[in-house]
Amino acid sequence: MLSKLRYALASVLRSGRMNRALDDEIAHHIALQTEQNIANGMTPGEAHRQAVLAFGSVQSLREAHRDGRGTRWLSDLRADVRHSFRTLARTRALTAAAILTLALAIGADSSVYSAVNAVLVRPLPFRRPERLVLIGENNKDFLWHMADAAPANYFDWRARVAGFQDVMAYVHFGLTATLMIDGTPRLVPVARVTGNFFSVLGVVPERGEGFTDADTWDTGTPRIVLSDRLWTALGRDPTIIGRTIPVDGRATLVVGVAPRGFTFPQPNIDLWSPVGWSKDDAAQVFFRRAHWLRVIARLKSGVSAEQANAQLRAVAEQLKIEYPATNRIMEAELQPLHRFLAGDTRLPLLVLLGAVTLLLLIACANVASLSLIRAASRSREIAIRAALGAGRSRLVRQAFAESLVLSAVGGAAGLGLGWVGTRILTLLLPPDGSLLPVDTVALDWRVTLYVVGVSLACGMLFGIAPAVWASRRAPGDALATSSRGSSANVQVRRWGARLAVAEVAIALALSVAAGLLVRSYAKLQGVDPGFDPTNVLTASIELPGNRYGDGAPIRQFYDQLLERVRGFPGVTDAAAVTRLPLTEPGWSSAFSIAGASGGNFGASLLHRQVTPDYFRTLRVPLRAGRWITTADAGPPYVVVINDVFAREYFKGADPVGQRICFDQQPDSNSTWRTIVGVVGSEHQVTPGTAPEIEAIAPFAQEASHAMSVVARTRGDPMALAPLVRSAVRDLDPQLAITRIETLSDIRATSMARDRFLMTLVSMFGMLGVVLAVIGVYGVLAELARERMREMGIRLALGAQGRAVQWLIVRRGLLFGAAGVGLGLALALAGTRGLARLLFQVPPSDPLTFAVVASALLAATIVASWLPAWRSSHVDPVAILREE
Amino acid sequence: MPAEQPDVLRGTLDLLVLKTLALEPMHGWGIAQRIEQFSRATLRINQGSLYLALQRLERSGSIDAEWRATDNNRRARFYRLTPKGQRLLRSETAAWQQYVTAVTWVLQTT
Repeated sequence: MLSKLRYALASVLRSGRMNRALDDEIAHHIALQTEQNIANGMTPGEAHRQAVLAFGSVQSLREAHRDGRGTRWLSDLRADVRHSFRTLARTRALTAAAILTLALAIGADSSVYSAVNAVLVRPLPFRRPERLVLIGENNKDFLWHMADAAPANYFDWRARVAGFQDVMAYVHFGLTATLMIDGTPRLVPVARVTGNFFSVLGVVPERGEGFTDADTWDTGTPRIVLSDRLWTALGRDPTIIGRTIPVDGRATLVVGVAPRGFTFPQPNIDLWSPVGWSKDDAAQVFFRRAHWLRVIARLKSGVSAEQANAQLRAVAEQLKIEYPATNRIMEAELQPLHRFLAGDTRLPLLVLLGAVTLLLLIACANVASLSLIRAASRSREIAIRAALGAGRSRLVRQAFAESLVLSAVGGAAGLGLGWVGTRILTLLLPPDGSLLPVDTVALDWRVTLYVVGVSLACGMLFGIAPAVWASRRAPGDALATSSRGSSANVQVRRWGARLAVAEVAIALALSVAAGLLVRSYAKLQGVDPGFDPTNVLTASIELPGNRYGDGAPIRQFYDQLLERVRGFPGVTDAAAVTRLPLTEPGWSSAFSIAGASGGNFGASLLHRQVTPDYFRTLRVPLRAGRWITTADAGPPYVVVINDVFAREYFKGADPVGQRICFDQQPDSNSTWRTIVGVVGSEHQVTPGTAPEIEAIAPFAQEASHAMSVVARTRGDPMALAPLVRSAVRDLDPQLAITRIETLSDIRATSMARDRFLMTLVSMFGMLGVVLAVIGVYGVLAELARERMREMGIRLALGAQGRAVQWLIVRRGLLFGAAGVGLGLALALAGTRGLARLLFQVPPSDPLTFAVVASALLAATIVASWLPAWRSSHVDPVAILREE
Repeated sequence: MPAEQPDVLRGTLDLLVLKTLALEPMHGWGIAQRIEQFSRATLRINQGSLYLALQRLERSGSIDAEWRATDNNRRARFYRLTPKGQRLLRSETAAWQQYVTAVTWVLQTT
């Protein structure tokens, strides 16, 4: 076996040398025979001649010898590939069309796959990431699922679940710190982590070290680990480790620099600092009641996620009994970390991958019919080769070789386009990271492997039709008949028709998906967000707590800033708010309504603080009662509620004058607030998610460090940005503006994922329709060319042009109708998967289906019209003379 | 060469080559000569078939080959029996003898 393999290998690698060796051997043989002949008394010339004669045909020995090496298929393949290149080069237009089609589809596929790869396939950059799980808390009453955990529960899980090797926790929402970089204050995103954060992930800092378990608790000296990016911004000074630098104005010890590219848990993190809890806090009830941690555990080796999950649930059950006040309905659950992180992006990405795969199928069908047309035009050549003894399998292989050459060239070009595609994709991506929670979408080896696989699969797929066709040909048949009306052409027509129908069907399914997403996006855009986003500039600022304290200085800063902003040219109104609409839900809590029974509503109420002019600035309507005014500065405490809250919890009664507090079980320490007004509901997260119940308190009664200034302008709001920046600089040169953008941009960002998905799927849909139309056109044009003679005769005998056109158009209509019928069934089955991505549009939306179906039918008619027109304008005389 | 010389029976050429090589390593021409000599000039070897047989045997690992200098300083490809070839020779010889005996029995039937 081994010797056979060695022989085969040698014969492939050294085919030329083996031929020469055989020649040498023959020469040696003839030389010896000649000598013997001379010894037997012949003249030298005669001796040589006789020796050669006795040997027989050298050429046939050479050929038989080459076949005998058992590697004939390989040399055949070489010949096939060379032949393919030659024939492909001869039909330049068809080949170019095929390669372009493939390159486009494969390029689109590889760029989408590179995104899928980045989020769903590529392993997380941690040590043995498959052993990491994310633990969340579930609360049936509050509808929490995999929600943030309370620190005390985290410590208990860590101590009690036997299957965990270690458990770490971090604060995942946007914390920031102010650092001086090159003399200017910069706000950098911070992750607060427990001391074992790096060790659980198995990430070793590039320089210095990480934190230790002791850092989980307040040690008195704050420590930080820098990201490689921040370290670079600070000048890549290696001696920075062990030094203290001011962070938020506080001396902070730099203990390490994270590896380049490590930015967990968010792509923008530049600093890690320990949570540094105090032991006093840990004893407080809020340590178990407030939920703000993400928890990640590493499983012990040999422990499965299911086993650990069961242990975790058991511990949660114990905690329910031990701490009924806080844990009565708290449960815990774990999920593989990778799946959790991919989260919401999984479905849109899979939809995109599905769409792009459909596009690829259309492209394959298209190239298949192009190959078929080419094969048909070469039927005589194939017939002659068959007649000369080419084996059937040899002809099939030849057809496949051509397809593979096409797909290889198309795949290579596709990979190039895919690279461009990933760049475009990155530009189109929603800037908030809501679609891809990663910062690198690149063509790595996995993507390359995928593209190679896909290209080969394509080659096989569109190679089948021409190959099967080539194998079925009887040589006599093709030789006997000229190009018209033979049974072979019936075969080509049948395959071509099948492919055209398939293309129309897939294009329809793809376009229906695109149509649904377009409709959904239009509905989303039509949603009134509860405010008027045009011409409003927003600037978000976070005052460092250590310099501004809790009360008066904060109010003073924002009062001064708003005063200046109001004075800027073009500004009609200005105000400040703790959280802008259409961004995130923000803080929430349980609540009670005075006099209402029970008090436990099992839902949480969002809260915000605003300065008096906020509602006027954003044009939020007043429904009842009054606005917040400058008079609402000290007690009595007042609050304004949104109309969703009024509707759901006051049931027709007038909420104005009633009192609420943000405690589930109010006691003598609770602050009761009187409802003074009801305002329209702003959408808090996206236009697609319904507004939640919300209570808005005066900023003057409850100050907050982090505020967003909103200013309504007469002209372009962005023109105001430099003025706002300089105003902030004047008030506090060490302060950084977190974000400055218009409210319209914020609204657009909140729909960015939907727009992204809609844009891409629509692009694929349009491309699919174009390819399908080209496919139908190609098949009909071929049909028209074939029946040219018949048409000529019909016309000569007096047929109307219209009737002749109808012959072709009827065919196109048939393709269209069959494809649309098939496609409707396909779309009905497929779009159900889209349901969760659609807003107020059912996945079987009749309007979308009807519009797309008729559009596609119209498109196929248009595609059939040109060949039809051409065949009705043939010159009968010219056609008949051709014979 | 006389025309009435019979060709080596198809399928037996391998056996003859193996037998020849069992005596000593040999090059192609030598093998042809030996077979003719041993058969007392009865068997004629088709040179094309010979080289294909050598290729076949080499591929199956029954013989191996190397380029060597001959006694008169020419370069020739010498073939040699491998252990596998020796086993093959034994079994093929046994099979051949059985076959000849069987055919003889049939032919002697009157």
